[in-house]
Amino acid sequence: MASVKISKLEKQYGLLKVLHSLDLEIADGKFVVLLGPSGCGKSTLLRMIAGLEKITSGDVFFDDVRVNDVHSKDRNIAMVFQNYALYAHMTVRKNMAFSMRLKNIDKKIQDEKVAWASSILGLDDYLDRLPKELSGGQRQRVAMGRAIVRDPDVFLFDEPLSNLDAKLRVQMRTEIKDLHQRLKTTTVYVTHDQIEAMTMADEVVIMQDGRIIQSGSPMEIYDNPNSLFVAQFIGSPGMNIIECDVAEKAGVKSANHESLCLPLPSDAKVEVGQKIFYGIRPEHLTANKEPSAESNSSLTIEPGVVRVVEPTGPETHVYSKLAGQDVCSISRERITWSPGEAIHLQPDLQHVHLFDGQTQVAL
Amino acid sequence: MAAQAKSGGLPRWLTSEHPLPWLFPVTSLLIVFGLYPVLYSLWLSFYKRNPATRTEKFLPSFNWNKLIGDDRVWDAVQVTFTYAVIALSIQLVLGMLIALLLDSDRKGFGVFRALMTLPLVVPPAVTGMMFLLMYDSSFGVISNSLYALNLLSPDKPILGTGSTALWGVIVADVWQWTPFMVLIMLAGLRALPREPFEAASIDGASSIQSFFFLTLPMMSKIIALAVLVRGIDLFRIFDYVKVMTDSGPGTATETLTAYAGTVYFKSANFSYASTVALATLILVLVVSTVFIKIFKIRF
Repeated sequence: MASVKISKLEKQYGLLKVLHSLDLEIADGKFVVLLGPSGCGKSTLLRMIAGLEKITSGDVFFDDVRVNDVHSKDRNIAMVFQNYALYAHMTVRKNMAFSMRLKNIDKKIQDEKVAWASSILGLDDYLDRLPKELSGGQRQRVAMGRAIVRDPDVFLFDEPLSNLDAKLRVQMRTEIKDLHQRLKTTTVYVTHDQIEAMTMADEVVIMQDGRIIQSGSPMEIYDNPNSLFVAQFIGSPGMNIIECDVAEKAGVKSANHESLCLPLPSDAKVEVGQKIFYGIRPEHLTANKEPSAESNSSLTIEPGVVRVVEPTGPETHVYSKLAGQDVCSISRERITWSPGEAIHLQPDLQHVHLFDGQTQVAL
Repeated sequence: MAAQAKSGGLPRWLTSEHPLPWLFPVTSLLIVFGLYPVLYSLWLSFYKRNPATRTEKFLPSFNWNKLIGDDRVWDAVQVTFTYAVIALSIQLVLGMLIALLLDSDRKGFGVFRALMTLPLVVPPAVTGMMFLLMYDSSFGVISNSLYALNLLSPDKPILGTGSTALWGVIVADVWQWTPFMVLIMLAGLRALPREPFEAASIDGASSIQSFFFLTLPMMSKIIALAVLVRGIDLFRIFDYVKVMTDSGPGTATETLTAYAGTVYFKSANFSYASTVALATLILVLVVSTVFIKIFKIRF
């Protein structure tokens, strides 16, 4: 096992700079997820850690040893690729034992390790099959088996679940997390799926346009996004964002959007006339059929109109139109809504997120 | 009404909706230049020709019996096999090595890849004459270089000595046809997926291990196909032998087709020449069928 440190790492293809001076420290045994939209440079970063991509400038350290010039075969890492990258002409057993075969490890130990990995991953019955005779999920498990028999210092996952169907993805998510808890190997996991990031990571690193925007534990990022981008990227359904102007009436500041007047937290650092983005997560919007009697603000918000109702079982997502804006609210109470009905929404002021209208940075 | 107007009263099998009119041109060419000559040689092979009287007599087993008892045929089979196996092995290994060298996205490699095709556009007979000149014992650049290096002496000219003549012809074949192998191998190499090689590199494989454990097995079908195509071609070798050695010295470079040519053009024994040619065809069919079965090639 090893810690990974990235210092001032840059990557440039010709004139195009894809990574801008990245700094990142991954502690030994941690599960770190690199999260970002397509093209943000997360896979490039992972491939540079793996040694598959040349470093333009900056350094990569494994346990304080600089590995910039160390060939990937000598880094003692294991990688799981998005499209599995299995050796098509080898059986599952040979795929898994390949790295040990290259090192001339005793055949008996090879067999033991393959048996151990296949029992963990439930591949016992498929050891003598070729990859083409397996389903997507099974292939994915073979790719993981090939990685875990290595007993590597660092595990690298490059969007390993994106080719699987929804149900299998949830199942494999749990398996990967369980595996990490058992093996406690440092893991770097790349994904664009924020749910994967939230559910699996010890630490989430959010990237955009080749830069690290924010990093921290999943709940830290969820509760305190440092920018509008992070706020919108994390959470499903996403945070409601309304572009507002700050106004003051009778000594009370509010965020106004057209006819809509939204209450602001008392400690909000905003000035009258400032343009802001007003963010509130769906679960922090209380929906009522009648105007709320015990509102935590002196402001009453005009009622919205219900558009779509999505019951998911444990909770109900209500999408409504509020002063021309689409707003989603989540309630765990079983209130029956019907489209066209009036809905009274009240934000929980403790969970309101405000972002500067210009810089989009959290206020 | 409309359908009738469109077809202009022609029977349906002559209209453009029917496959027959579309197949007609190529089918007729194949029948005239492919099937007819084969059937005609088969028919010829059943006749005994008397060169003196220039008459033919129907004796189905005569030529075939003669073929089996003809030592020159068996010599020619041996020369053909030797020639094909050696030339094919060299072209295959050399083709793969050059393809590996040229399999790069770096600047300038595209030019090299294009230049590789140049020998392929030279007519084989011209290649033969080119090498004939280069082998010439008084002014040939290859001969003179070998003499200078003391590898060969002027009293044993390359194409005039039994032990080296076949090699001389093989070199010309290799020069002309290795680029063909390179092209096929390059196409195969360029189409290989990148990820398994990255996975192997992470698994700890060196470039040489990657080549033997991944590249070769992943290319096996393409290699087999290239060997098949070139192999069939090599069994039909005629031009180089005819131009460079005319089967000599003696019969040292006499391949099956060269022997058939000699029987046909020099002895004017058309029926026996046809029999030898058919024997070549049968040999090619048997060898390639066995090869296809062993390497499970699917077309």
